[in-house]
Amino acid sequence: MTMEEVQTALRKRVGQLLEDGTVATFLGWEAGRFPNQTTPLVVNDAAAAEKLVWNEYCVNTLAKYTRDLAYRGRVGIVVHGCNSRGIVRLINDKEITREDVYLIGVGCPGMHDMNGEPLKKCKECRHQNPVLFDEFIGDKVEEKTPEGRWAEVEAVEAMTQKERAAYFESVYSKCIRCYACRDVCPCCTCRECFVDARREDWVGKQNNLPENRFYGITRVMHIGDRCIECGECERVCPMDLPLMTMNRKVIRDMNELFGEFESGMAIGEAKEKLMTYEKTDPEEFM
Amino acid sequence: MSRIGVFICHCGTNISATVDVEKVGEAAAKLPNVVHVELNKYMCSDPSQDMIREVIKEYNIDRIVMGTCSPRMHELTWRKLLATTDVNPYMLEVANLREQCSWVHKNRTVATAKAIDLIKMAVAKVDKLSPLKTTQIPVTKRALVIGGGIAGMQVALDIADAGFPVTIVEKKSSLGGNMVMLDKTFPTLDCSACICTPKMSEVANHPNITVKTLAEVEAMNGYVGNFEVTIREKAKYIDYDLCTGCGACMTKCPSKVPNEFDQGMSERPSIYKMFAQAVPAKPVIDPVNCRKLTEGKCGVCAKICPTGAIRYDDEDKVTTETYGAVIFATGYELIDWKKIYGEYGGGMYPDVITGLQFERLVNASGPTEGHILRPSDGKEPKSVVIVKCVGSRDPHKGVSYCSRACCMYGAKHAHQYMDKVPDGNCYVFYMDVRTPGKNYDEFYRSAVHDGVNYLRGRVSKIYEEDGKLVCLGEDTLSSRPVRVDADMVVLETAMVPSTGVEEVAALFGVGRDKDNWLVEAHAKLRPVETNTAGVYLAGVCQGPKDIPDTVCQAGAAAAKVIGLLNKPSLESNPQISRVNEALCQGDGACVNICPYGAISLVTKHFRENSRHVDRVVAQVNPAMCQGCGACTVTCRAGAMDLLGYTNESIMREVDALCQW
Repeated sequence: MTMEEVQTALRKRVGQLLEDGTVATFLGWEAGRFPNQTTPLVVNDAAAAEKLVWNEYCVNTLAKYTRDLAYRGRVGIVVHGCNSRGIVRLINDKEITREDVYLIGVGCPGMHDMNGEPLKKCKECRHQNPVLFDEFIGDKVEEKTPEGRWAEVEAVEAMTQKERAAYFESVYSKCIRCYACRDVCPCCTCRECFVDARREDWVGKQNNLPENRFYGITRVMHIGDRCIECGECERVCPMDLPLMTMNRKVIRDMNELFGEFESGMAIGEAKEKLMTYEKTDPEEFM
Repeated sequence: MSRIGVFICHCGTNISATVDVEKVGEAAAKLPNVVHVELNKYMCSDPSQDMIREVIKEYNIDRIVMGTCSPRMHELTWRKLLATTDVNPYMLEVANLREQCSWVHKNRTVATAKAIDLIKMAVAKVDKLSPLKTTQIPVTKRALVIGGGIAGMQVALDIADAGFPVTIVEKKSSLGGNMVMLDKTFPTLDCSACICTPKMSEVANHPNITVKTLAEVEAMNGYVGNFEVTIREKAKYIDYDLCTGCGACMTKCPSKVPNEFDQGMSERPSIYKMFAQAVPAKPVIDPVNCRKLTEGKCGVCAKICPTGAIRYDDEDKVTTETYGAVIFATGYELIDWKKIYGEYGGGMYPDVITGLQFERLVNASGPTEGHILRPSDGKEPKSVVIVKCVGSRDPHKGVSYCSRACCMYGAKHAHQYMDKVPDGNCYVFYMDVRTPGKNYDEFYRSAVHDGVNYLRGRVSKIYEEDGKLVCLGEDTLSSRPVRVDADMVVLETAMVPSTGVEEVAALFGVGRDKDNWLVEAHAKLRPVETNTAGVYLAGVCQGPKDIPDTVCQAGAAAAKVIGLLNKPSLESNPQISRVNEALCQGDGACVNICPYGAISLVTKHFRENSRHVDRVVAQVNPAMCQGCGACTVTCRAGAMDLLGYTNESIMREVDALCQW
C-alpha cells in the first residue's frame, strides 16, 4: 500500500472507531499551513477524521499528548516506530495504562523536512515499524540497521579533556533554555520539572553557561536510562544543540556497565538501570 | 524570621588549638538571623548546658547551631537538652568543627576559614528546618539470639531470667559453640565442660528460651522493636517428639565419617550427636553421608529405632516470627593455616596440629580419652613445640590483629602437657607474652616455673627428619638460631569470624570491619550496640576475646536488650521520608530502591484542574522508614523529601558555601 492508500484506509477506520465509541478521541496529523508540513491533530468526531493525513512530512511524535487526553476516555493514535515506543515508555512510567490507548500501527518509511531532506532522527532510526499496536494498516516496512549509532559519542570521547570542556562550553553557551527538548520528550513527564521547582531552586533561572550546563546534564541523567532515541529533542531544538550525542553517551555507558538495554521496546520490560539496586551491580565507577 | 543561636565549643583544645574559635564566633554573629553567639570551653558539660538553656530563654531563640564535635557524638545530647526547653529538639544543626575540621587540619588559617564555612552552612540549613514530632511505636517483647555458644547462651539466660522470651538460632546441631570443645579453661584450669554443659542444660530447660538447632536466619524485615525474622530449621530427619535419645541408632549406623567435633581425629556415624553431652540430647542425620538419603539403601536406623522416630522424608522448616531485639553471638572459627603456612608443612605432617585439636587430645571425652598421643602413630610425644601467633599479627599472610586468647591458652597447653607427660619437654615460641587479666600473668609465670621453655622468636620452618619434626627458628633474646626436634607441634592459630556471618549481618545492616568482625556503634561508649537500632553484639563476633570477656559482654548486651524490651513503646525517628503527593507521579522508582520495603503505591483521590482524579502515589510507612534518603535522590521529580534534611535545606546549605 502506498502512503496515500494508508491515509484513505486510516481516515475510514478512525471514523468507524469514533462512531462505535471504541475511542473518545484520536491523535494523528493534519495538513499544516504550509506545503510539505503537517501539524498534530486531535480528532473528536467521525466527520473530522477526513482531516487526517499520512505522508512523509508527519515529523512530530505524538505519544506524549495521550497523557492530556486520557481523561476524556480511550485515546486512539497512529503509531509508527517512535510513537509506539513513546507509548510503551509512558505505560512503563505509569503515566497511562494500556487500556487508555488504542493503537493503529503503520510502517514508517522515514520522514522529511519541508525541503524534502530526510530527517536526521529518521536516518538514525532503528525501529520504523511499531513495537506495539492493536491493528495494522498497510504493510510493514523493511527495517534498516543504520551504522554509526555511537559515532558522535566516540568523536566526543576521543577529544582531550580541554577540547571536551571547550566542546561542552560551545554547546551549552548556545542554549536559550526554551525547554522545548523537555516539553517534547516522552520521558520528561514529571509533574513539576526540577527547573521549575521554586522552593528547592535546584538550578538558577539565569541564562548563563553554568546553569545551562547544569540543566542539560541533569536532563540527560533524568532520562538516560529511559531514552527511546526518538530524536525529537534534537529536532525541536531551535539552537541545533547535539542533544542526542549527550543522551547516547549515557545510554552507551549504561549498556557497558549494566548490560545491553533498549528502552521502550516492551511493556514491563527490564527495570530501569538507574532506578534499581542489585547486589550484583558493578562498582568500578565508585 | 527565625531566631538562631550559635554555640561554639573549644572542646578543651581539641578544636581551639587549630581553629580560631573567637574569629569563628565573630563571623557567626554577622550571619543572617543569628541573634546570639556563645563560646565555651566545654559545651557538653552540665554548667554549659544550663547556660545554653538560659541563653535560649533570654534571646527567645527558636533554633540552634552547635559548632562542636561530630553529631554522632553529641547530637543526641543536644536534642535531649532542647527537649527541656521550648525549642523543638529537631530545630538543631550540628556543625562538625572537630572530626571534620580541627582534627584533620594543621594550618590554623585554613582550618578557621573552613570552620566559618561549616557554621555558615549550618546556619543556612537550620533556617529552613521545621519542628518534627515523634510518635510511639510498639515493642515486641521477645529477643532473638543468633549463635548458641557461650556468648549466645549467656545473653539468652540473662534476658530470659528478666522475664522475656528468647529464641536461640544455632547453626550446628547442638548448643555449646567452641567452648564446649575445650578441655580446661585458664587461669583456674577448671574443666570447660563442667561449666559449659550445665549452662547448655539450663538454656534447654529454661521456660523462656526456645532453642532452634541446625537453624539459620534467612530473611529480615522490620526495624527496632519489630524485627520480622525468617528462620530456616534444616531437616533433622528425626521426629524429636518421639525420639528418646537412647542412641541405639548411632551404634548400628554402618557409615563412618570424620568427626568434626574431634577436629577430624575420630570417626562418627551418619546418624549422630555432635558429642555425648549435646543439647538437645538427640541425634540428627547427616544428609551428605547417610546411605539411605544418598543412595536409597540401608535404613538400619529406622529398623532399630524403638519409637519409630526416624523420618527420611523430613523437610526444612521455615518460620517467621517477630522480635523486639536481636543479638549477634556468631563467634569465631580458626584461620585455615594449611593454606597460608607452607613452611609449617601446610597440613602435610599429621603431628602438626592446631590448638583446638590439642584440646580434643587432652580432653577426657576426646578421641584418646585424655591421653596425649600424637595422631600419626598414637605414641606419647616426648617433646612438644607450641607456636604462638600462627596467623595472628601477621598482616602479610594471616591477619593483622592479635587474637588475644592464644598467649593464655598456649600457656595452658604447656601446663597440661607438662602435667600429663612429666618427663616430656615443652618449648613455646612466642613474639610477645601478653597476659593482661586477673591472675593471668601469674598463670604464665607458673608455666615457666614448671619448666616450660619459652623462646622469643617465630618458627621459620618445620620439616620431618628421622621421624622428628624439626622446628627451625631464632631465639631473638640471645640472637642465636634455634633448632628443636619435636615429636608434635601445636599451632596456636588466629581467630577469624565465622563463615557466613557477612550475609546475616547484611540482613540487619550491621557493619563489618576490614577483617569481617562486626562493628560496634562506638568503640568506647557503645561497645555492645550496633549502628542498627535494636541489634546488639555479644562475644567474639565483635573481635577476639577470651571466655571471661565474652561472658561480660554477653551480660552487657543482655542489660541493653532488657532496657529496650522493658519500654512500653519506643519513640519513632521523625527524620523520615515524606511524599509530596502533588509532585508524585507514582512511577514507583522509590519503591524499587527502598532497602527497607517502607514505600508502597496507593491510589488516592485528588481534585486537580477542576477535575476529580484517582491517581497512584507513593506512601511511606513511618515505622519502617529508617531515613536513609535513598528515595529522595531517586525521585526525579523531587517528590520525596527527607524530614530534617529536606531538599530545600540542603540546597540552602550548598548556596551558603558557594555564594556568600
